[in-house]
Amino acid sequence: MSMPEPKQIAGQRRTAFNRRQFLRGLGVCIALPMFESLQPWKAFAAATPGRLANSATGAPLRAAFLFFPNGAIPAAWWPKEPGTDFEFSPTLSPLAPLRDHLQVLGGLDHKQANPGADGAGDHARGNGVFLTGVRLKKSATDVHAGISIDQVIAREVGHLTRFSSLELSSDAVRTSGACDSGYACAYQYNLSWSSPTTPVAAESNPRLVFERLFGAGGPGERAANMKRRQQEQRSVLDFVLADARGMNQRLNGRDREKLDQYLTGIRDIETSITKAERFGAPADPKMETPSGIPSDRVQYVQIMFDMLALAFQTDSTRVATMLLGHDGDDRSLPEAGVPDGHHSLSHHFNNEAKIEKLKKIDHWYAEQLAKFLQKLQDTRDVDGQSILYNSMILYGSGNADGNRHTHSNLPLVLAGSGGGALRPGRYLQHGSKPMSNLLARVASEMGAQNIHGFGDSTGVLEDV
Amino acid sequence: MRRRFEQRAFPKLLIALGHPVLWAIGLLACGCLTVSGAGMDGGASQFHHQIQPMLEEYCFDCHGDGEQKGNVAFDQFKSDQALLENHELWLRVLKNLRAGLMPPPQRKSRPDAEQKEQIEAWIKNAVFKIDPQNLDPGRVTVRRLNRVEYRNTIRDLMGVEFDTQSEFPPDDAGFGFDDIGDLLTLPPMLLEKYFAAANTIVTEAVPSVPAVPAEVVIEGRRFKESAEVQKVNRNGAPAGALVLSYYDAASATNLFEASHAGRYQLLLDFTANERYVENQFDQNKCRLRFISDGKELLRRDYTREGGKAFRYEFDQDWRPGEHELVLEVQPLTPDEKQVRSLTLRVRSVTVRGPMEKQYWVPPREYARFFPRTTPEDQAGRRQYAHEILERFAERAYRRPVDQQTVDRLVGLAEATYSEPGKTFEAGIGQAMTAVLTSPRFLFREEGTESKETGSPVAVSSSRYQLVDEYSLASRLSYFLWSSMPDEELFRLAGRHELHQHLPEQIKRMLADAKSEAFVRNFVGQWLQVRDIDTIQIDARQVLSKDGSADPEREQRLKRYRTLRDKEDATGVSPEEKKELDELRNILFRSFKRPPRVELTGKIRKALRLETEKTFEYIVRENRSLLEFLDSDYTFLNERLAAYYGMTNLNVKGEAMRLVKLPEDDPRGGVITQGSVLIVTSNPTRTSPVKRGKFILENLLGTPPAPPPANIPPLEDAAKAAKGHTLTLRETLALHRDHALCASCHNRMDPLGLALENFNALGLWRTHDQGQPIDATGQLLSGERFTDIRQLKKVLVQNHAVEFYRTLTEKMLIYALGRGLEYYDVGTVDQIVDRLKESNGSPSVLLSGIINSAPFQRTRATPPVDTAKQTEPAAQAAAPAGGL
Repeated sequence: MSMPEPKQIAGQRRTAFNRRQFLRGLGVCIALPMFESLQPWKAFAAATPGRLANSATGAPLRAAFLFFPNGAIPAAWWPKEPGTDFEFSPTLSPLAPLRDHLQVLGGLDHKQANPGADGAGDHARGNGVFLTGVRLKKSATDVHAGISIDQVIAREVGHLTRFSSLELSSDAVRTSGACDSGYACAYQYNLSWSSPTTPVAAESNPRLVFERLFGAGGPGERAANMKRRQQEQRSVLDFVLADARGMNQRLNGRDREKLDQYLTGIRDIETSITKAERFGAPADPKMETPSGIPSDRVQYVQIMFDMLALAFQTDSTRVATMLLGHDGDDRSLPEAGVPDGHHSLSHHFNNEAKIEKLKKIDHWYAEQLAKFLQKLQDTRDVDGQSILYNSMILYGSGNADGNRHTHSNLPLVLAGSGGGALRPGRYLQHGSKPMSNLLARVASEMGAQNIHGFGDSTGVLEDV
Repeated sequence: MRRRFEQRAFPKLLIALGHPVLWAIGLLACGCLTVSGAGMDGGASQFHHQIQPMLEEYCFDCHGDGEQKGNVAFDQFKSDQALLENHELWLRVLKNLRAGLMPPPQRKSRPDAEQKEQIEAWIKNAVFKIDPQNLDPGRVTVRRLNRVEYRNTIRDLMGVEFDTQSEFPPDDAGFGFDDIGDLLTLPPMLLEKYFAAANTIVTEAVPSVPAVPAEVVIEGRRFKESAEVQKVNRNGAPAGALVLSYYDAASATNLFEASHAGRYQLLLDFTANERYVENQFDQNKCRLRFISDGKELLRRDYTREGGKAFRYEFDQDWRPGEHELVLEVQPLTPDEKQVRSLTLRVRSVTVRGPMEKQYWVPPREYARFFPRTTPEDQAGRRQYAHEILERFAERAYRRPVDQQTVDRLVGLAEATYSEPGKTFEAGIGQAMTAVLTSPRFLFREEGTESKETGSPVAVSSSRYQLVDEYSLASRLSYFLWSSMPDEELFRLAGRHELHQHLPEQIKRMLADAKSEAFVRNFVGQWLQVRDIDTIQIDARQVLSKDGSADPEREQRLKRYRTLRDKEDATGVSPEEKKELDELRNILFRSFKRPPRVELTGKIRKALRLETEKTFEYIVRENRSLLEFLDSDYTFLNERLAAYYGMTNLNVKGEAMRLVKLPEDDPRGGVITQGSVLIVTSNPTRTSPVKRGKFILENLLGTPPAPPPANIPPLEDAAKAAKGHTLTLRETLALHRDHALCASCHNRMDPLGLALENFNALGLWRTHDQGQPIDATGQLLSGERFTDIRQLKKVLVQNHAVEFYRTLTEKMLIYALGRGLEYYDVGTVDQIVDRLKESNGSPSVLLSGIINSAPFQRTRATPPVDTAKQTEPAAQAAAPAGGL
């Protein structure tokens, strides 16, 4: 076959200018644009029976689970005294303006992340157990975790929105070589699991998230583009299904599992086509599509948060996860004033200088969270409350003390009032309870029925 | 006398087969046992008589008689069967024995060479049941194309580049590689992207109409420039663009020859760029004019536009002959402050026309997809669609396609092109989109040789079936090109001649430029040099640690801190204030300057290429693989030579070239290349532990166990050294006082510390934080060395076999797309033996892998034709169980 000069297409053609334009329009610190026209859920929400992912007022209720890597220096993370008049710790000080809208949760553990008989691999476990609450199978290829809480919720409320869930990550680069201590990399890079053997890959490119939510192209063209895309999808479905069935007959064992994944994907596409018919055209934010991954870390994290905020604001989904960085992340964060690798630092052996640097990193992550929460707080929902009020945003890490790889008393912040169901404005110490109980509580607030026996939960955490 | 192995379970066996002498003679006579001779009874009996006494003598102190260090006890098997079926344990025993790690080297009583051989042979024959004539090929899970393979396959199939790196999520990797079938999952989100990609690709690649107006793209650079333009045309301009500055008047001209009279369209494409200069905004303006044959088509003013793209279209009625196109820039704000950051980059001017239909031409690449004129009649069209789509689907699926599939594709095409307003081409495009979305494209489906069509080669003594010729073609092409087979491979597979022509084909494929993908993807992952593109290293921090001790500076720093604290606490006198400012100036002057070197994009690329070129050179020139460990040459360009400080070698220009190193130069071999040194460093400093681990894992094949879950704190020990900052070497020495840490750190640290003369940027240094560097050491295997030069010699002289085995294993994993299992020991050993004989010949390695059982054969059921498939899956998998 001859090899002519290849044409450059797709992502490559887009140049950097879009990003700056986008940032100028949306901005790292600028609040989300209000779009009054973007309220396709209004009529719909009222029709939703019971309290399935709805607040008492009928507004949508959302849950998001955000993960930051390598734990936090406990002394700088925890406020001094539990209660309502607690004092913000140095690390969490950026969140102080939001005190009435969040709670700091202490005394929650992930015992399944402890080594037990499995030995090394606390980062794989910290990450993989975070939303699943189960023991991970220690294997490089034979992956087995558990269904994650966001997917538990999505199964029950996913039909209410265009996307049953959204998985985001601001950790786009993978290094080569093996992952943590004999664990498959999948554990360390995925928060969401739709089944014990199926991690749900996260989207790390803001442009692709945006195009997925609202369609490709500029403002005004998106709905048509999305419609065309779905027509194109529909037109080849019959053919590829026949191909897949034929192929399935020729395969066996593990090969069939691969084909099953293909068929699951096909079903998802069919569902999204059906949903598109049901929900009509998606919202069309009056802004440029982000062009790609910004090189600046603050901008990158904030753009991904913006995508999440947009998804909630437009009621494109009610459940989301975001991996700010995978556990064991050794990224250097010059943006936080720390050039050293985060993970290497986290084994500080009580070296003061290193601890100081880690505090800066922990503080930096809290700052990023604060900006996101503030944005949600400043955006009004259909019922006049803020989006934050009608949300439950859990922020935390799968390691408590990164130096010693502990998984008890995990650093956790739960923001939002859950539409009035939660009692924020407190620092709570729960003693020593499974974090799975907290996850079960969030799922239960979302209206999920099927939470009994989730992970290693022993019940539903009451005092939240 | 030690307590004997738990014998009660096997008294009968021992009586029945108890002739130790016979066993021993058998071993000595042929050096190995055939599978039939070492059935379960034989294997167990041999164990009790020959192997167990050796284990008792050398291993039971820690792994028997109640001891079970590392959870290993050789006298706790529940039965003979359990003993023989514990493949995992015996694989560990084999590896540790071969590496000399067990029994621990410091022990006095260790098995001699002959005894070791006996144990090895027993493990391979009795436990693993390795039959050299019938090596178990294992089975690989059907592989999805990874990002790289998808991109290359699309390039070769469709003739377009699709940027999978930014469009698709990263692939999960395992065993160090991203082409492992088991781990290449297909999440729903990715399938959605495959659908979208297929559309984008077909839209870009496949013409949807038979004829279009002719189009000539005149690259910006082809505009003839005035002197002013040339001045700014150098830096950072994208290839082919014309860069015009806002600050200088300039004009550039191109003459276009129109062939016919008619209506033409001119398309002007440019961007208005701004280079970011910290906190400075450039408010200059300029005017751009675009003139055709003296007629002004565009006159517009530009200010800061933030990189925005502009595109203008103009209609022209042209006579045949020459037409003059001029681009002219005029600065408008001569008095404004110039930050010199603003430019217009003219990518191209496109001349489209004549627009009159009689002059239209087939679109670019039309013949690639549509080899002849489209028939007018319905039946003719259907026949033509059949031809095109059958050929296309065969290429895309990389194997013959049944008529049913082709018929369905034709139906799909027909449904589209029968719609009003739709072209035949659009219909074909629609069917091609379906093909690119099919699992038969996205996965590499394989088949086996069926007996009826068996070529002479297929008939062999092995009980495992050969994969069919199309599968072999794909295995070859994805191994060596990370892409689909080309015409020649397809042709040979179609004629059933590929097996016969393997040696020539391997040669041809390696000579092809596409084999660069093999170099890049294999080396990039084996030696992790892929990571050099993204790794973050703080050059300033790294360089600041390299200086020798500077007491004067220490003194100043001390005084500075005293005064600063005083200023904060009580305030300082004017004299002290002055002194403080002076000190601050002297001490922190260096922070204002950019560091001496930095890991720029171009340096990163050169560093990556240095390693890739080394690999390519060794393989293409068939030199010894041992040159990876030590050589008297490397690959440099001017930039990299300067980076390394090797300025006396007279290396000029951007191109990487083979450079002979000066006598006694510490470089040469991959472990002293910047790429490897950097990817094994931390962002601000070296990590001897990471470097040592890297060598053990990737060159010697004896990776240390992962660190224990609860790392014991070192601070108590560290406190003992209070008074001075511990050097890295001292800190690590503390580490090794802990028995728990020592077992691995004794192996990692000496290797890593030997590389301490290279900082985290891969640059040579003599001091670390004021202390002279001590690179001496001793390996666990006993050899002493004074520095990295000697260490490399030791590795070549004493550890070549470990290196051969490691490289063979890594390349086999990459080639097969699966991790290695115990039964692969036979395959690897055969290749390593040949490498030993050939003194490490790369061609022996490559042909060894390609001719190996797992590369050519499969354990799986023959799928081939659904209709003919009668054997149930379980039955075919049976030989694998084997026990």
